[in-house]
Formats: sequence, structure tokens, C-alpha cells
Amino acid sequence: MSQGEKQRSVLRISLDILNAVREEGDAKPTHILYKANLSHERLVRYLDDLTGKGLIEVKLEGDNRTYSITSRGVSFLIEMRKAETFVQGFGLAI
Amino acid sequence: MPSGALITFALNISSAFVALLTSYYAYRSNRLVRSPALGAINVGFMLLGVGLAVDAGTSLVSGRLLVELPAERAFILLSSLTYLTLQLLAYLVIAVSYTRAAYGRPGAAAPAALAGVAALGLYRFSLLSYFVTVILLAFIVFQGMLVRSEGRGRFSRTVLLGFGLILFAHLVLLLAVLVMGPTLFLAGTAVQFFGFVSLLAFVVRSEVVVPG
Repeated sequence: MSQGEKQRSVLRISLDILNAVREEGDAKPTHILYKANLSHERLVRYLDDLTGKGLIEVKLEGDNRTYSITSRGVSFLIEMRKAETFVQGFGLAI
Repeated sequence: MPSGALITFALNISSAFVALLTSYYAYRSNRLVRSPALGAINVGFMLLGVGLAVDAGTSLVSGRLLVELPAERAFILLSSLTYLTLQLLAYLVIAVSYTRAAYGRPGAAAPAALAGVAALGLYRFSLLSYFVTVILLAFIVFQGMLVRSEGRGRFSRTVLLGFGLILFAHLVLLLAVLVMGPTLFLAGTAVQFFGFVSLLAFVVRSEVVVPG
């Protein structure tokens, strides 16, 4: 797998997670896990990364941990959607 | 100044604007997506935009259409050298990027086409340039149709129509240079402009999407 394919793959997974979190509202890790089709270990890594970038935020209520998308995350999704439409329009894929 | 030259200037400068706009959107998308093919589209359309702007400037400064002055044809062809070279490079970059995107390896067909034409050694640079550009554009349109038919991407019909019109325009322009027909030259420039209008429609549409 080339570096470019790796990057695309990471981007695609991040988008799947962001979309899952946005659709759920306050999303539980198990729901995100199911929708993004990832192992728990990889999911935790991606969630930490997205949280660190300010695209999602974590809420702790007792033992429950939920994730929600931030306004920055919504803006990122909109920009990515535009980029994806542009890229696909020229016959390319993310 | 003849109205034909003014119309040519207006059409080419508008096309240049769309080409540069497309280049900018490709650049912006590439900052997020990081695709070599998208980078090539960014560079290709930038070269095309600069080339078209140079050509528009040439027609404005000379105040004449390319084919209206047989006696000064050599001079005007020389002043168009920059435009033709940039145009050639632009379509070459785009064609090679499509080869890479379609087959996952550096483009072979486009340079092979160049070498084949160069081997003929019969055409002046302008004729050669238009001819090779037609081959490159045909290659790009073919790749677009191939990508669409094989379902590997969702090559937009609007983009394909844009490239198709630009291909047809260059066939008309090639014919215009061959027969020295001012009307044909103007018609080719107009068809090319409509090709860029089609690309503009796509670029604008891609800006109004919302997360699905």
C-alpha cells in the first residue's frame, strides 16, 4: 500500500467516524465502532486524534462516555464534502 | 480594433478565469485530500489559465485575429508560442495524471502520442501543438468515459461535457489554422468558452453540497 493510499484510507475512516458521530448526536463508542467498522483499539486511536484536533468532543457522565461533533468538525465535514464532490467529478476517489 | 479580436479577447479571458478558478478549487481540495492526480489537475488548469490569459492579451495587443493577417502570420504565431506551449503542457499534465489514476502507473499513452507526432516532423509548431492537444484531449475524454463506464469513480457528466466541448473546439481551431479561416477560429474559441462554462457549472455546483 502506497503512502497516498494510506493517507486516503486514514481520511476515509476519519470521515466515517465524524459522520457516525454527527448522525448519532451524542454517540456511544460502541455505536461508532459499529458504523465505522473498526477494531476497538483503532477506534480509540482515531477518537483521540479527532478529539485532539477539536473535531469531536467527549462527554463523561459517570461510567458513560459519549462523543459529539464540534462546530469545527461540522465545518470540516462540509469542506470535505465539497472536496469529495470536486474530486469525484474529475473521476478520482478519496 | 476589429470586433472579432475583441470577441476573441473576451472569450479567452473568460475561459482563463474559469481555468484559474478550477485550478484554485483543485488546490483547495488537494490540501484536504492530498491526491497526486488532483495536484496535476491544479497545475494543469493553472498553466491553461495563464496560457489563455496570454493568448487573450496577444489578441488584444495585436488587435487582430490570428488568421486575419497572412503576411504577419509568422509573427503572430511566434507571439502565440507561449500560449500554445502552456496549453500543450497543461493537457499533457492532466492526461498523464488520468493515466496514473486509471492504471496506477505513470502515463505512457500521452508521451507516446507526443513522440509519434514529433516523428512525423511535418508540421509547424502551431499545427503540431493543436494536433497534439487534440490527441491529449481525446485521451482525457476517453479516460473519463472509461472511468464512468467501469464505475471506478463518478466522473461528472458536466466535467466530461466540458472536456468534450474543449476537444471539439480544438478540432475546429486545428481546422482554422489549416485553412486560415477567421470564422472557424472564432467558432473554435467560442466552443472552447462553452466548454469552460460547463466546467464552471460543475465548480459552482460542487460548492453548494452539504454533508449527506
